[in-house]
Amino acid sequence: MLQSIRRSAILLLLFLLTSAPAMAGELNLSVAASMKEVINELTGNYEKTHPGITFVKNFGASGALAGQIENGAPADLFIAANSEWMDYLKGKNLVDRKSKKTFAYNTLVFAGSTGKKVTSMRDLVKLDKIAIGSPKSVPAGEYATTAIRNAGLEQQVQGKLVMAKDVRECLMYAELGEVDGSFVYRTDALQGKKAKLLFTVPQKLYPRVVYPMALTVKAATNREAQSFHAYLQGSEAKSVLKKYGFVLK
Amino acid sequence: MRLQIDVAKTQGHFTLQAAAAVEGQRTGIFGQSGCGKSTLVHLISGLLQPDRGEIAIDGLTLFSSEKKISLPPEQRRIAIVFQQAMLFPHLGVKANLLYGYKRCSKANRRIDPQAIIDVLQLEPLLNRGVNRLSGGEKQRVALGRSVLSNPRLLLMDEPLSALDDTLRFQIIPYLKSVSAEFGIPYLFISHSVLEMQLMTDRILVMKEGKIIEETSPDQLARNRMATSQTGYLNLLHLEEPSVENGLYSYPWGSGRLLVSDGQEGKTSLFELSSRDIILFKQHPKAISARNLLACTVTELFRSDGRLGVELSSCGKKLIAEIVRSAAEELDITEGSTIFAAIKASSFRRLD
Amino acid sequence: MLSLTAEDIQAILLSLKVALTATLLALPLGFATAWLMVFRSFRGKVLLEVLVNLPLTLPPVVIGYFLLLLLGKNGWAGRFLDAWGIHFIFTWKAAVIASATVGFPLLVRSVRLGMESIDRQLIETSRSLGARWFDTLITVVLPLSIRGILAGSSLMFARSLGEFGATIIVAGNIPGITQTIPLAIYDYASSPSSTMMALSLCLVAVVISVLVLFVHEVLSRNIEKQEAA
Repeated sequence: MLQSIRRSAILLLLFLLTSAPAMAGELNLSVAASMKEVINELTGNYEKTHPGITFVKNFGASGALAGQIENGAPADLFIAANSEWMDYLKGKNLVDRKSKKTFAYNTLVFAGSTGKKVTSMRDLVKLDKIAIGSPKSVPAGEYATTAIRNAGLEQQVQGKLVMAKDVRECLMYAELGEVDGSFVYRTDALQGKKAKLLFTVPQKLYPRVVYPMALTVKAATNREAQSFHAYLQGSEAKSVLKKYGFVLK
Repeated sequence: MRLQIDVAKTQGHFTLQAAAAVEGQRTGIFGQSGCGKSTLVHLISGLLQPDRGEIAIDGLTLFSSEKKISLPPEQRRIAIVFQQAMLFPHLGVKANLLYGYKRCSKANRRIDPQAIIDVLQLEPLLNRGVNRLSGGEKQRVALGRSVLSNPRLLLMDEPLSALDDTLRFQIIPYLKSVSAEFGIPYLFISHSVLEMQLMTDRILVMKEGKIIEETSPDQLARNRMATSQTGYLNLLHLEEPSVENGLYSYPWGSGRLLVSDGQEGKTSLFELSSRDIILFKQHPKAISARNLLACTVTELFRSDGRLGVELSSCGKKLIAEIVRSAAEELDITEGSTIFAAIKASSFRRLD
Repeated sequence: MLSLTAEDIQAILLSLKVALTATLLALPLGFATAWLMVFRSFRGKVLLEVLVNLPLTLPPVVIGYFLLLLLGKNGWAGRFLDAWGIHFIFTWKAAVIASATVGFPLLVRSVRLGMESIDRQLIETSRSLGARWFDTLITVVLPLSIRGILAGSSLMFARSLGEFGATIIVAGNIPGITQTIPLAIYDYASSPSSTMMALSLCLVAVVISVLVLFVHEVLSRNIEKQEAA
């Protein structure tokens, strides 16, 4: 009796300790939340033409994703919504510098379902609640706070800002109507049903939204990862990006 | 006080069906555990609702399933003294005492708190917390509290069962004096025949949820004589003893009784078991028992397998207990002359 | 080592304010509910017990979601409240409601235990001495269940301090308005470069909890001493 208990315990322990071996043909992607639809479509297409390749996709705020990769989360490809988080991983030697390319660009907008008249940054002070991604980890939030600061409205919006964990949650708040509006990307606003694009944030108020992408150091020599990385720079990828409203240059 | 009750109540496996009409200031409810005494207390006080029936006190209907009347407990003015004093632990003695008094309408406040404090000797306890009181002190406070709520009836549910003997017989005088002085009728519930003898005039006997008879304390004691552990207890109030040869000599009727455990200068209550009285057909010339009484047999009664012999001596009555064969041997009949021997140590002092 | 920003201090003060308000708000209802469950019997009592204990077993996010359904602009109750200009979602009041809901079963549980230890005959005595049920409740039941009330309150207070799942859904993460300590830590924890700051705030949370438990212990001992006197 005791013998079999001991045996089962050892097997259980081994099972728990052994990390699941990476399946051949499985690629792990860590991607900024705003790229969700684009990447879903592209991986779908890729899987059709490359049987034997499956994707494990992880969408979220770029800062959170960077933290996960730093802590050992399996990732072969990383697409961030700003340079800061890509540089962060570069500094930790977790991404392959040579593979760093620019995937796309975007613009910051303000969208919402409020009845109030909102046409510019100054109108923000009239509002009760504004959702932004938490600037500590969400690039869209960082861009937004930069724009607010540069527009001189930092004091006036105190207490109005609802922190979201990524840009999609921002959009959801706007859709539900629980906030007057949210700072999201143009591409997100296009996805919205109830939330309308109210105004575009003047580019002079914030740095350009850029999506760097790179292979992780672990995947730098992975033939399949490299192949997908190349695909993302190809014409099919560009057309999908354009379809969803991303800027290519 | 006139109490009319005719109720039925089923709780789980137990069914109570009690019907009685009693009159008097000092009524007892007698029965063994589980006979339904406590249930009856709860029904009369309004803490439990009968399934059907009627309860009325002095013509006032407390409960009637037919007329759909049911007075809540706080309106019945029936105070309960429980076995455990149930003093409010978060209130001091004074606050406990006045709890019911404060909630009694001014019109109904007949009893003066100071009078109760005096009768029950509660003055030294007044500023104490209740948790450091002795059992007897607690019960006195509980009694005072109940009486101060000016109830129309006092329900005492085995109030002495949790006390030891000495204490019990110290409290009994308080119970009686309070009732007498303030005119409050009470219902005294107990399983002790002795307590019934000391506290009540009429008794309702309960068994298995029914009131099976209404009787007097003396009759109850006689009926229970054979089955009781102590036989029939003769109760004697004796006073002003003189001391003779280390024994206390008490006047008793036209004679005297010699008692070992007496108390000088005080009135004492003694119990004498019917089994401690030995009967002689003829006068024994010398005997170690210090009390030898010439008696006439006034009555013989049967109690299960025993015979109760009511004796008259010195103008007083005593009851002795013998087996039937002894009665035949000694040819004891009503009117016979007989000698009763009682040891001085057989008298047990109660207070 | 301990570095707290102005926002952190705001979060701490807000946490204390929300926890205190939630506890005070829940106390009367918690007391009444416990009293109902201990001293009254009625049809559907089992249902009440289940309902009261539900927040204990449901994931807090589910509770938050239900509260959102109830109190949101398009919610069942929210619609009417909106007409009267009363808004809960994304205000500190929502944080209070979230904490109160989540902590309620803990409060009721403790108060119940306190009440169940009261000898029934004490209550019967009170009634027979002329006190109506409400009088008995205030003059006998309440004082004798203080221990349970205190224990329940401190437990609920501590739980409120740590409430996250329901709060973030229904009150949102708004610095200065609804960002309590757990939400602030969550913010920090999402960002790999801010883990040290999260640590400072975590330390504060621990210290507060220890203080609450300490006060609770001291108070309970005092009451024990009082009762023995």
